[in-house]
Amino acid sequence: MLVLTCKVNQSIVIGDDIEVVVLEVRGEQVRLGVRAPKSIAVHRKEVYEQIRQENLNAASVSTDDLSSLQARLVEEGNP
Amino acid sequence: MTKTCIDSTRFGRIEVDEEAVITFSQGLFGFENYRRFVVLCLDEKSPFRWLQSLEEPSLAFVVIEPRYFMPDYAPTISDADAEALGLDADTPYLMFAVVTVPPGKPEQMTANLMGPIIVNAVTRMARQVVVEDDCYSTKHSILQELMKWQSQAREGADAGTDLQGEPEHRDRR
Repeated sequence: MLVLTCKVNQSIVIGDDIEVVVLEVRGEQVRLGVRAPKSIAVHRKEVYEQIRQENLNAASVSTDDLSSLQARLVEEGNP
Repeated sequence: MTKTCIDSTRFGRIEVDEEAVITFSQGLFGFENYRRFVVLCLDEKSPFRWLQSLEEPSLAFVVIEPRYFMPDYAPTISDADAEALGLDADTPYLMFAVVTVPPGKPEQMTANLMGPIIVNAVTRMARQVVVEDDCYSTKHSILQELMKWQSQAREGADAGTDLQGEPEHRDRR
């Protein structure tokens, strides 16, 4: 991994059109600004991790679970 | 017509037309190696569908159309995702949310609205996207949302008022 030390308002450039700016450092928190073309998706890694974990949980649903789900929906009444 | 077959763990032998196959060019998060799926409807009256892998017999997810329980669900997807899916403003598409059920607690079922699945209805290309809105999480209680909408519909009918509040504004990026 490339490691760079930056001060506030300094930035690093990735490729031709992605820029990561250090906006603020406060205690253990760092605020970063990301400037990238709209065609590049930028998300926190935790978000991908959460979705991955939720998919893993969802993959273990059984057909029995689904029949009880449907039973619950009927109880609540369809909208 | 070409058919694809799989002896699925949950549903036994499934035979589908090649045209019904949906392809995730990147798989789903955590399941990147599985690309080909089919949406199974086992009960026309149920809002739930199964997303069955055509490559791994035991891999299947329960999915639901999010607007069934949250009619105002309107996620923003990135240009990168729209482009990868070949979607423009008037391309027909399908949207599904992956459903999680805690074992033995069906009333606590949740839908993942942070990472919905979007299918280009023309090309059958699909992608699980990360929405750009902060208001959607990976765990929305389906029953609570349903009850909320039902009571809002009732109150709206009673008072004839618009109950919508100010949308939340949060600092992003």
